[in-house]
This record gives sequence, structure tokens and C-alpha cells, in this order.
Amino acid sequence: MNKTGYVHDNRYLLHDTGPYHPENPDRLMAIFDGIKSGGLLDKLTIIPARPAEMKWISSIHPEHYIHRFEEVCLSGNREFCSADNQMCVSTYETAILAVGGVLEACRMVMAGELDNAFCAVRPPGHHAEESLAMGFCYFNNVAIAARYLQEEWGVERVGIIDFDVHHGNGTQRIFEEDPSVFYYSIHQHPSFAFPGTGREFEAGNASGQGYTKNSPVLPGKGDEEYKRLVENDMIPVFKEFKPDVLIVSTGFDAHEDDDMSDVELTTHGFSWIMRKIMGIGWQYASGRVISVLEGGYCIERLPELARNHMRILMGEETD
Amino acid sequence: MFVSKSMTQKVITLERDASIFEAQELMFKNRVRHIPVVDNDNILIGIVTDRDIRTAMPYDLFKDPENAAARNSVTCLKVRDIMTINPITIQPTHTIQDALLMILKQKVGAFPVVDDKHQLKGIISVRDLLRAFANVLGIGQPGTLLGIIAKEKVGQLKIIVDAITAKNISIGSILVARYWEKDKRAVFPYLLTNNVGPIKRDLQALGYTLIDPMDWCLDEIPK
Repeated sequence: MNKTGYVHDNRYLLHDTGPYHPENPDRLMAIFDGIKSGGLLDKLTIIPARPAEMKWISSIHPEHYIHRFEEVCLSGNREFCSADNQMCVSTYETAILAVGGVLEACRMVMAGELDNAFCAVRPPGHHAEESLAMGFCYFNNVAIAARYLQEEWGVERVGIIDFDVHHGNGTQRIFEEDPSVFYYSIHQHPSFAFPGTGREFEAGNASGQGYTKNSPVLPGKGDEEYKRLVENDMIPVFKEFKPDVLIVSTGFDAHEDDDMSDVELTTHGFSWIMRKIMGIGWQYASGRVISVLEGGYCIERLPELARNHMRILMGEETD
Repeated sequence: MFVSKSMTQKVITLERDASIFEAQELMFKNRVRHIPVVDNDNILIGIVTDRDIRTAMPYDLFKDPENAAARNSVTCLKVRDIMTINPITIQPTHTIQDALLMILKQKVGAFPVVDDKHQLKGIISVRDLLRAFANVLGIGQPGTLLGIIAKEKVGQLKIIVDAITAKNISIGSILVARYWEKDKRAVFPYLLTNNVGPIKRDLQALGYTLIDPMDWCLDEIPK
């Protein structure tokens, strides 16, 4: 069995998005319930939240953006950059804790204390660009983690796999000219889903040309289409790239019961994808897989999805 | 919405005595397919297109662009020999709707833009119109498109927009297209949000049908 970490902390519930917002604290409660009811807690290393060092956040986000976020948040403003980004007075601090939890998971994996980890953090990050919060995201957790791995641990090639149903425009933009970070995303086709990027022809720029790959999925498609794209697009690019570490932007919103999307991935489909990701992780990255929560809004389905996700990281059988 | 606002103003031009190789190279280098031909006073006298050049080139040159004998056979060919004289033009004060309809009707790819004195002011191509259309679609901004069936009667858009506004959602654009059922319209609001679940439910509660995304279309191929 693998040594698997679970970034879990009640302080991630403090980011209050107000009533009727899909990105709400109930999501993390549902994830916790799922992991607990599977009897997994005793076998996991719980990693508590900790504030990230500012130098890592500013390795991606400019100071002026970080300061503006802090100011707008502490002034009691309910939104930042757009109405999607609803917040409370604790949001800024929680966002720093989210980055910190992910970085601690990275540290433990790199130090050999863990094989892999799932970071159940809020707020999510993959839509956040250097100077722009959007789509419920403030700091780009996975982008900061990739830079941390490179600068603190000397990792050369970081692979990012993003299977949230929405394209991770922020992560793509941050690394689109960087050949040391491969960004692969599979998501609902941008003509039918937020944020409207992640088309097949977006494949990196300048020296990063060929180090971004997007697999759009049409509405109504499900497991078969995901399997086809994972086999034909995802696996070959990482076979070529040979990542030293894999970071996974884990979104559970492609589920057929999640009303944030029109694609219809089943619970089994999610497990199948995660096993393939672990296969890449073991083949090229000595099993170093750090999974970071992005979206996933169906409270009824999150327990089973998170439980299976965790079991696959642990190397156990799923339901 | 005048042509003058959307046209390409820095136009690449040729003189009538330029060689067709020169024209070919200019098109290749600048990635354009239409080059207006002007006289010394910048008065439009013709237009040369990549098709004119291809038609003029002997087959041997296609097989081998360096074939000396074949090159020689066309060195005497000038732009004036292959250009379209008196091409269809448009004026800067025409609108892009004019340009759109004219391009559909005339089946050409671009119009030289000239003033009253027939002096060249710019060129407007299919690509310029597409750029304007992409802008109107608002697809440069992050958002989510919805497809709604609405009855073709007064006040429908207001109800839809009010419902969207009540959810505090900004609208990037709204397209209205003919629908394949009589007396109905397909309405496509582009919403600047990731959070479309609640507004979808509100619209359905108001009696609107959301179109299956796989059935969305702006225009059907005429049967």
C-alpha cells in the first residue's frame, strides 16, 4: 500500500462564498465524509493547513495583485475581479492556507515521507491567472506548486494533468511559453463551457510550443470519449515528456450528475482516468503524484468520487 | 459599423508593370490573397489574387518552382496581364453589413475600399469581417453560452435578460438566430460567469426550453 497524504483542515471551510454559490464549504465536508466512511482515515497521513511563504505565491502572482486581493478582502468587499468570485473577510487567508497545504504535500512527497497526496483545499486555483481572479479561483495552487518543485527541489520537468470539466486557463497561460512544465487538460469543449479557452489548437507558444495539450469533450459524451482521448492524447504526450513529478488538477464536475457541465462521466469513468494517471506517475515520476482539488459541485456524488480517488492514490481497489 | 473602422488600412499594393513573381512573393511574405493594383496617384486600376497567379503559372513551375525554362516562359507576364480590371469596390462609408452581404452575393474574398475619386483607402476581406464577428461573439472573455428557445414575439428578450440580471450575471453578448421551428427563435446569451446552474433553472421555471448544446446552430445549410 502507498503512503498517501490527505491535506485536510477545517480552516478551508472559512472561505464563505455566500448563499447559493456552488463552490461552498459543503463540498469539503462531503469529501471528508466519503473518505471517512470508507474507513480510510486511519491509513492516511493527515496534512494540516499551513500558510504558504509569500515568496512562493509571488513566484507566480505579482505583488500588486496579491496586495489588491488582500486589501479588497479585508475591506469587507464581497467580490473580487468578478461576481463569480464571492468572498468573505477570511478568503485571503484561506487562499494562502490552500497554497500552503499543497506546498507541504509537495514537500513531504519530495522528502520521501509520502508517495503521493490528495489536497482537499479551497479556494480552487486553475482559473486564476497571474493578475486575475476568476471562476472561483484566486491563487493558482498548482502553478505555484510546480514552481516550488522546480526551485526548491530542483525538479526539471513537471507534468500537470487537469481533468476538471472546465479548462484551466490560468495554468495554461502561466506555463504556455515554458517547456519545463507540460500542461494537459481534458474538459468540456470551450464553445459549450466556461471559460471558453482550451481549444485543440492551443498548444503552447514560443519555446513552450508543443508543451500544452488540450482535449475538448463535446456535450453529452461520457466514459467512452474520455477513454479515447486519454489513450490517444494524454498518455502519449507524457510518454514523450517523461515528467519527474505529476500534479493533478482534480475536478469532479465532469460527473453525469453534476449540473455545472453537460458531459457525462460516470463514477467508474473517474476511477479509470485516475488509474491511468497513476500509471503515468509510476512509470515516469516514481509515483510522485500530488492531486489538488479544483471543482466538483454535486454534493451527493462527491463522497464516492473522493473515496475512490483516495483509494486509487493509496493503491487500493475501488467500489 | 463603417467599413472604414474594420478595413485593413496599410494595404500592400502593386504597380501594373510588376512581374507576377513579385506579386507571388508579396502574397507569400504578407500572407494575403488579394493585392490591389494602383497607379502613381494611388488610383485603383485592378486587383490581383492568388488564383490569378496560379492560373497563369505553367504546370511545369508547380512541379519545380526553379525550372528555368518554365520561369522564362512567364517572366514577360506582368500583373496588368492577369489582374481583374475594374474590380468590385466598396466605400469607407459603407457598413460592414453591406460588405457582408456583398461578399455573399458576389462570391469574392475581399473588396478594395476606395473614395469618390477612386483612390485606394484600404481593403476589407472575409478575415476582417470574421474578426469583427469574433469580437461581437465576445469569445475573448471568459464566460458560458446558453441556448434558449423563445417565441417570436415582443418582450421575450426582456424576460430572459431580466432573469439573468436578477442573478447578478453580466452579459457578454446575445445572439438571436432563426430556429428550425416556425415562429420560434434561438437565443444565445453569452454569460460572463462559471455559475450557470441557477439561471438555467430559473429560465426553465419561466417556461423556456434550453436547447441541447449538440443541437445549437446559428445557421443551417440551406436544403
